[in-house]
Amino acid sequence: MPTLVIDDQKVTVDPGTTIIQAAKKLDITIPHYCYHPRLKSVDMCRMCLVEVKDIPKLQTACSTQVRDNMVVFTNNQKVLDARRSVLEFLLINHPLDCPICDKAGECMLQDFYFQFSRHTSKFKEKKQKKHKVVNLGPKIVLDSERCILCARCVRFLKEVVGTEELGIFDRGDHSEIGIYPGRPLENNYQGNLADVCPVGALTAKDFRFACRSWFLCQENSICPGCSTGCNVLVHSSERSYDKTLRRVYRLTPRDNDEVNQSWLCDVGRYGYHFVDDPDRLTAPSLKRGEEYVKVDWDTAFREVAQRLRGIFERYSPSSLGIIPSPQLTNEDLYMVKKFFNETLCITNIDFKLPGWNQGQGDGFLLKADRNPNTMGAELLGLSGIGPQAGEIIEKTRLGEIKALYLVGSDPARYLGEEKIASALSRAQLVVFQGSNYNYACKFAHAILPGATFVEKEGTFTNAQARVQKINQALRPLGESLPDWKIILGLALTMGYYFPYKAAEDIFKDIAREVTGFSGLDYKKVGDKGIKLALSGG
Amino acid sequence: MSKGLEFSKKTKERLQAIVAKYPEKGAALLPTLWLAQREFSAITPEVEEYVAGLLGLSLVRVHEALSFYTMYTPQPLGKYHIQLCTNISCSLLGAEELLAYLKKRLNIEAGETTPDKKFTLSTVECLGYCGTAPVMRLNETFYENLTENGIDQILRKLP
Ligand code: SF4
Ligand code: SF4
Ligand code: FES
Repeated sequence: MPTLVIDDQKVTVDPGTTIIQAAKKLDITIPHYCYHPRLKSVDMCRMCLVEVKDIPKLQTACSTQVRDNMVVFTNNQKVLDARRSVLEFLLINHPLDCPICDKAGECMLQDFYFQFSRHTSKFKEKKQKKHKVVNLGPKIVLDSERCILCARCVRFLKEVVGTEELGIFDRGDHSEIGIYPGRPLENNYQGNLADVCPVGALTAKDFRFACRSWFLCQENSICPGCSTGCNVLVHSSERSYDKTLRRVYRLTPRDNDEVNQSWLCDVGRYGYHFVDDPDRLTAPSLKRGEEYVKVDWDTAFREVAQRLRGIFERYSPSSLGIIPSPQLTNEDLYMVKKFFNETLCITNIDFKLPGWNQGQGDGFLLKADRNPNTMGAELLGLSGIGPQAGEIIEKTRLGEIKALYLVGSDPARYLGEEKIASALSRAQLVVFQGSNYNYACKFAHAILPGATFVEKEGTFTNAQARVQKINQALRPLGESLPDWKIILGLALTMGYYFPYKAAEDIFKDIAREVTGFSGLDYKKVGDKGIKLALSGG
Repeated sequence: MSKGLEFSKKTKERLQAIVAKYPEKGAALLPTLWLAQREFSAITPEVEEYVAGLLGLSLVRVHEALSFYTMYTPQPLGKYHIQLCTNISCSLLGAEELLAYLKKRLNIEAGETTPDKKFTLSTVECLGYCGTAPVMRLNETFYENLTENGIDQILRKLP
């Protein structure tokens, strides 16, 4: 294995490693544009030039492989001068419109200019004019004048997605990124283009002009869009900066070699808008006649508890049905199971509504099962105790089940409105607990507002049985509460006490009781998750 | 693959010989475009699609090459394509006057084709014959030491 010296530090790496990768091992970041760790090196931008002892000309760190005894300088005067010159060239035709550019604050051109160059342009000629506000497709806009032609976008679509929708057309300083005339971007991974573009040339329509990046907080989380469980950063702000009153501004990928590498699909990336949608349920409400009245949590709990108890006393546990959702966290689901099944002895509990896992996958990241926690729901035993969810609905229609409690689930989405109307209208009690209004709410006697994935803490278990953590980025909207807390409150009102103060406490019990989870805690799950050791898995 | 367009049998044979020279099919893009331009007289979008299909390349890759090189033409050219050099040596020796003469004689501007589709006039940079400037190219043939008279003779002889 070659050992080399980079800026006076020794490092040993595998043969074939490039200088830029070896430097990274020493926590030395060599400035670069065209290099991207997940794409092939192409040596296009010359930003990564470094000096290698005994080689007269500077070398590109992104493509030069290390040799034993190599001595590399990444920051001496010669390198700094070259870097400055490269920046000067890259900025020749640049419009210098950082104040109105969405990438400002997170732009590699801006950052490196301030770090290494701060030159005054010597260029007196007219700047090259190029196309601006070019619609590349439904999600991405191109400003060619800001483009440094690093071809990351082109290579991403070629090497990762395989759709090859972007190319570099024309020649010399007329070169521009573009689509084939009349064939806009259509793939499910367009959002990544705005991430891989190191400058402000490619921007996402969803985020354009919505907020300056430095006003946003970032929190590690997991995309709830499907059972892949891509690792994301939630960019949010309690204070909204635009008319839509959104608090979440975007999701961006977090690196995870085992899950999503550095990418997100568009279905998941742009699926967060439900968080600040006007259809969010923000206060507990009870049906009084034909009207719904907002009440405080205590009143809501008391009423639901009393009516549940009434049905219990007149009939039996088999007259109650619970349909939880695989959108819920492990902690939420554990509480559902603990209280309704193990405490109240209800066996009509199941999350598998007909078709619940039959979305459309795309063969890459997006899975047909559009739920982040199906595996968790399985492992925690929220299916297979009694009848399946479809039968629970049917039993409600037949009047066998008198009280139906929906936890985050949206049965009309799978069974159609007619079926749900005919079933739910027969129930003596329908409780809907969840974050957003759906058709089932029409028939609910009590509506209990749940928090969304960005407003609570917990874990999801993805299709590979990897437990991954979501963190709270925002306060729950209005009076909404994490689902486990709602069930905890209801249980307490009914006289059952569970000693949980935080989701983490519940996870400790999951680790104690549920096979596969044993020995885990939040610390071990960490930022990258941990794969469960499942026997026969 | 696109409807209707197809190389003749002879061109297909030539294509096969060309493709055989490269380790991968896609590398034969430039000579294939060249064949296509001869056969179909222009690289229209339909031709791009045909070539992309032949070589297993994406449309974007074909379009990149097409937009990079000036000698491929997206519009059909006239039967005779006159390329007059207007670079330094030729200009010193009268290319500008010759250009004016050609424009007047053909009654078109540089970059245009006569309505009868017989002539296309282009100006080009160095053709590599500076020693015998001014020069022009008419389809595959080079003409050196040009004069207005010379041009007349050349054009008159054309079928
Ligand atoms: S648009 Fe961005 S990613 Fe694409 S070549 Fe230009 S600078 Fe690079
Ligand atoms: S693949 Fe699934 S988890 Fe990943 S971003 Fe898309 S929807 Fe979200
Ligand atoms: S990063 Fe090495 S040449 Fe661009």
